[in-house]
Amino acid sequence: MATSGTDQLSQIETTCGSLLYELQLIWDEVGESDDERDKLILELEQECMEVYRRKVDQANHSRAYLRQAIADAEAELASVCSAMSERPVHLRRQTNQNATSLKKELNIATLQLEEMRKRKSDRLSQFLHVMNQIRKISAEIQPDGQDQNTVNIDESDLSIRKLEEFQRHLEALKKEKADRLTQVLEHISTLTTFCTVLGIDFKQTLMEVHPSLGDAEGSKVVSNEVIERLASVINGLRKVKLQRMQKLQDLATTMLELWNLMDTPIEEQQIFLNVTRNIAASEHEITEANTLSADFLNYIEAEVERLEELKVSKMKDLLLKKKSELEELRHKTHLIENGDNEAEISKEDIEDGAMDPSLLLQRIEDQISCVKEDAFSRKEILERVEKWMSACEEEAWLEEYNRDENRYSAGKGAHLILKRAEKARATAQRIPGIVEALCSKVIAWEKERGTEFTYDGVRLLSMLEDYSYVRHEKEQERRRQRDHKKLQSQIIAEQESLFGSKPSPSKTQNTIKVNRTFTGVASRKLSLGTAALLPTKLDFPCNKETPSTKRGNEFMPASTAEKGAADIGIQAKTLSFNSGNTNVLQSEPPRKPFSVMNRSNEHEEPPREQVSLLAQILPMTPAQLMPTSTPKTPGTVSKPMQMAATPAPIDGVHEVSVTIPKEPHEMEYSFEERRLAFVYQL
Amino acid sequence: MSGASPSGSGRVLSNPPSDGISNLRFSNHSDHLLVSSWDKSVRLYDASANVLKGKFMHGGPVLDCCFHDDSSGFSASADHTVRRYVFSSGKEDILGRHAAPVRCVEYSYATGQVITGSWDKTLKCWDPRGASGPEHALVGTYPQPERVYSLSLVGHRLVVATAGRHVNVYDLRNMSQPEQRRESSLKYQTRCVRCYPNGTGFALSSVEGRVAMEFFDMTDASQSKKYAFKCHRKSEAGRDTVYPVNAIAFHPIYGTFATGGCDGYVNVWDGNNKKRLYQYSKYPSSIAALSFSKDGRLLAVASSYTFEEGDIAHEPDAIFIRSINEVEVKPKPKAIPAAPPS
Repeated sequence: MATSGTDQLSQIETTCGSLLYELQLIWDEVGESDDERDKLILELEQECMEVYRRKVDQANHSRAYLRQAIADAEAELASVCSAMSERPVHLRRQTNQNATSLKKELNIATLQLEEMRKRKSDRLSQFLHVMNQIRKISAEIQPDGQDQNTVNIDESDLSIRKLEEFQRHLEALKKEKADRLTQVLEHISTLTTFCTVLGIDFKQTLMEVHPSLGDAEGSKVVSNEVIERLASVINGLRKVKLQRMQKLQDLATTMLELWNLMDTPIEEQQIFLNVTRNIAASEHEITEANTLSADFLNYIEAEVERLEELKVSKMKDLLLKKKSELEELRHKTHLIENGDNEAEISKEDIEDGAMDPSLLLQRIEDQISCVKEDAFSRKEILERVEKWMSACEEEAWLEEYNRDENRYSAGKGAHLILKRAEKARATAQRIPGIVEALCSKVIAWEKERGTEFTYDGVRLLSMLEDYSYVRHEKEQERRRQRDHKKLQSQIIAEQESLFGSKPSPSKTQNTIKVNRTFTGVASRKLSLGTAALLPTKLDFPCNKETPSTKRGNEFMPASTAEKGAADIGIQAKTLSFNSGNTNVLQSEPPRKPFSVMNRSNEHEEPPREQVSLLAQILPMTPAQLMPTSTPKTPGTVSKPMQMAATPAPIDGVHEVSVTIPKEPHEMEYSFEERRLAFVYQL
Repeated sequence: MSGASPSGSGRVLSNPPSDGISNLRFSNHSDHLLVSSWDKSVRLYDASANVLKGKFMHGGPVLDCCFHDDSSGFSASADHTVRRYVFSSGKEDILGRHAAPVRCVEYSYATGQVITGSWDKTLKCWDPRGASGPEHALVGTYPQPERVYSLSLVGHRLVVATAGRHVNVYDLRNMSQPEQRRESSLKYQTRCVRCYPNGTGFALSSVEGRVAMEFFDMTDASQSKKYAFKCHRKSEAGRDTVYPVNAIAFHPIYGTFATGGCDGYVNVWDGNNKKRLYQYSKYPSSIAALSFSKDGRLLAVASSYTFEEGDIAHEPDAIFIRSINEVEVKPKPKAIPAAPPS
C-alpha cells in the first residue's frame, strides 16, 4: 500500500528532519566547527548510504536466489520430464504469461517439480516391481544368475515405452517359465510312467534330479539344467526299459523254446502268459506297472534257468535213450561198434556230463542215421542170412532126428514131426543153393560198397566160405563113412562065408554109436548152444560145423572122436575163429580175474617156459597164450588127439584143458612179475 | 622237445628211458623228475627245462624210485637191491637188500626212514643216515601175508597192498604190528594204492577198471563214506572192455586225483563230490605212472606199455609233461542255483 508506505516514509523523513534539527541544536550548543559538522554529516550520510546499499544488496541476493531456484527447479523438472518423456501437467509456457512474479514462478515450478518427482518415483517403483519380477523369474529359469536379465534400471529412461518394454519382457519370461514348467511336468509324468513299468521309485529319482521336483505341491525349479537332467534321466530310463524289454523278450523266447522242447503242460505256461504275450511288443506298448522291474526280470530269469537245468537232465536221459536206440539198431543189423572210433560215445561219457551234451547228441544222431542207412542196404542180405541160418538149424534138427531111434513110433504129434522132417530134408537140400545165392549177393554188395560186409564184426564172406568148406568136408566124411560101412559089411559077409558066423554088428556099431552119441550130444548141445549163442553169430558156423575146433571146450573130445585124422585140417582151418570162441566162452562162466578182458587177457599168463621160471605152474593152456602165433601150433592139435582116446576127460576138460597137471590153487601174478620172468627168459 | 606229439598230450620229455617206465616222481622242492625204468636206469630230469641231469644204472630193471630231498634219491630194483644216489656228486651206494625183487620204495619225512616192499613178502625199514653199508642201515623187517605190490605213505601212516588183495595199515611209530589188517574192497588184484594228502584214507585201484575210496577211521560214520567206482572201461556192443588202473596221483593242493589206466587215458576225479572232472586225450600207450609237481602246476604222465598183454608190439614209451589248468583239477561242488544277474 503505497499510501501507508508513503506515509511511513514521510513520517520517517519528518523524524529524520527533526533529528537533524536536534543535531544542529546540539552542535550549536557544543559549538562544533563547521568542518566537524560537515564531516559528521558526511559520515552520517555515508553510513546511511551503507545501510541502503546493504539492504539493496540483500534484496538483490534474494532475487538472484529466487531466480536460481527457479532455474534449478526448471532444470530438474526438465530432467525429470526428459527421463520420463513426459511433459508436466501444466505447460511452462502457461506459467510464463503476464510476467508473473518470480515467487509465483518458483511456486509453480516447485509444485510441478513435486508432481513430476512423485510421478517419477511412481514410475520408478513400477519399474522396480517389474524388474524384480523379471529377476525372480530369471532366477527360476536360470538360477546360475546370468546377468542378462538383471539390468540395472537406467534412470535416464523411465518412459512408459521403456516400462512397457520391460513389461513385455516380463511377460515373455513368464511365458517361458510356464512353458518350461509344462515341459518339466511332462517329463515328470513320462518319468513316472517309466518308473512304474520298471519298478523304480519315481519320487527317489525325481529327488535325485532336483529336490524341488520331489515335492508334489511346491513350485519347481525349471532351469535348463533341471530340464536337461530330466531329459537325460528319461533317456536313460527309456534305454533301460528297452534293454529290459529286450532281455525279457529274449527270455520269453528261450522259455517258449524250452517249453516246446520239453512239452511243458499248459497250466505251467499260463502262469507266464503276461510275459509271453508281450514277446513281440514294441516299447510303448508295455505300460503295466512292474512289468519290467528288476525283481520281475530276476524271477523270469530264474524260471528260465530252472527250465534249462531240467533240459540238461532230460538231455542226459535223452542221450541215454538215444544211445540205447543206437545200440539196438546196431544189434539188429549185426553191426558192431567200431571200438577205436573216437566218435563212439560210452555210457560213462554221458553220465559224467564232462562233454557238451548237444555235441554228444549230434554225434549219436549222426551215428543213428548212418546205421539206419546201412541197415537199409543190408536188409536183403541179412534176411537171406536169416534164411540160411534157419535152414542150417533145421538141418541140424534133422540130423538129430535121424539118430533118434524112436522116430517112427506113433505118438502124439508124430505126424507133425514127420512133416517137419520132410520139410527139413527139402530145406537141407536147398542149403547149398541158398549159400551160393547169398555169397553172390554179398560179393555184389561188397563190390558196390567197396567195403566188407561184416556180420557182428566178422566178414560174412569168410563165414560163408568156411561154412561151405566144412560142409563139403562133412559130406566127404559121410561118404567115407558110408563107404567104410559098405566095406565092413562086405568083410562081414566074407567072414561069414569063410567062418560061418557073423560077428555082432553091434560092436562096431556101438563104438560108432558111442562116438555118435557123443557127437549127438555134442551137436545137440552145440545146436542149442548155437541157438543160445545166435546173438553172437560170430561163433555160429564154428559152433555147429566144426565143434572139433573148440579148444579148451567141453565138446572137444567128443567131436574129435568122430572126425579122426581129417579133423586136423579142419581145426587148422578154423582156428581163425578161436579168438572169437574163447571170447564167447569166457564171457559165459563167472568172471575170473583177467578172464573178461577181450584179448587183452588172453596173454595174461606167460608161456610155459616162463612159468617154470616163476617156480609156479599156471593152469592156462599155453596155446591160448599166443593167438597171434599161427594157428598151426602142433600143440593144439596134439591135445585133442590125446583126448580122443578117453572120453572120460570131458569132465577134466571142463576146466581149461592142460598138458600140465593142475595146481591145487591158482597163483596170481602182477604184470611186473610176468614181465620180469619174460625179461629173464630172453 | 619234439613237436611230434599232439599238443593236447603235453610236452614230450627228451632222452626218455629206452624201455618201459615203472614209476616217475616229482621232487618236493623243485620240478626235478626221477624216473625208474625197465632199461635198468634211474634218470633225473629237470622237467621244466626238459633236460636230463643224471643217469644211474642198476643191476636189473628198476621197479620204483623216490626222492629223499632235492639232491638225493632211492631206487628199488629187480636185482634185489635198494640203492641210494646223491645227484650232485653222482655217487651211489647200496642201502640194503631183499631176498627177491624189490617192488616199492618210499621215503618217510616223518621218521626219516626209507621203506621198501618186496616180492619176498617182507617190508623193510632203513635208516639212510646211519653208517654206510647194508648191514647197518636196516631198522626192521616186517613180514607181509603176500608179495608187496604197492605202498603209500601219509604222515605217520603207511598203507601196504599185497598180492591176494591184502591191505595192511601201519603206524610208522610202531611197526611191530599193523594198525589194521584189511582186505581190498575190490574183488580183483590190486594195482596201486595211494593215500589222500589229508591223511584220512587211501585210494586203491585194481586190474578190473575200478577204484575204491577207503578211510582209516573204522567208525561207522567214516566207513559209510567209503565207495568204489568204475573207470577206464570201454563199452562196445553191450560188452565192457575193462582195463587195469595202474596209477593214481593226488593233486597236492586241491586233493583231487588223477588215475591212469591201460586204456591210455588219464582221468581226473573229485573224490568228495564223486565226479569226474576231466579226461585228457588218449595217450599212445598204457599209463604206467603219474605224478603231480609239488605246486600242482605240472603232471608227469608215463605212457609206457605195462605188459598187460604179454610180449607184444607196442607204441614207444614216452614221458609227457602236462601243464595243468585249474579247470581240469579244481573240484566243482554240486551247483546251487545262482542268483541271476540283475
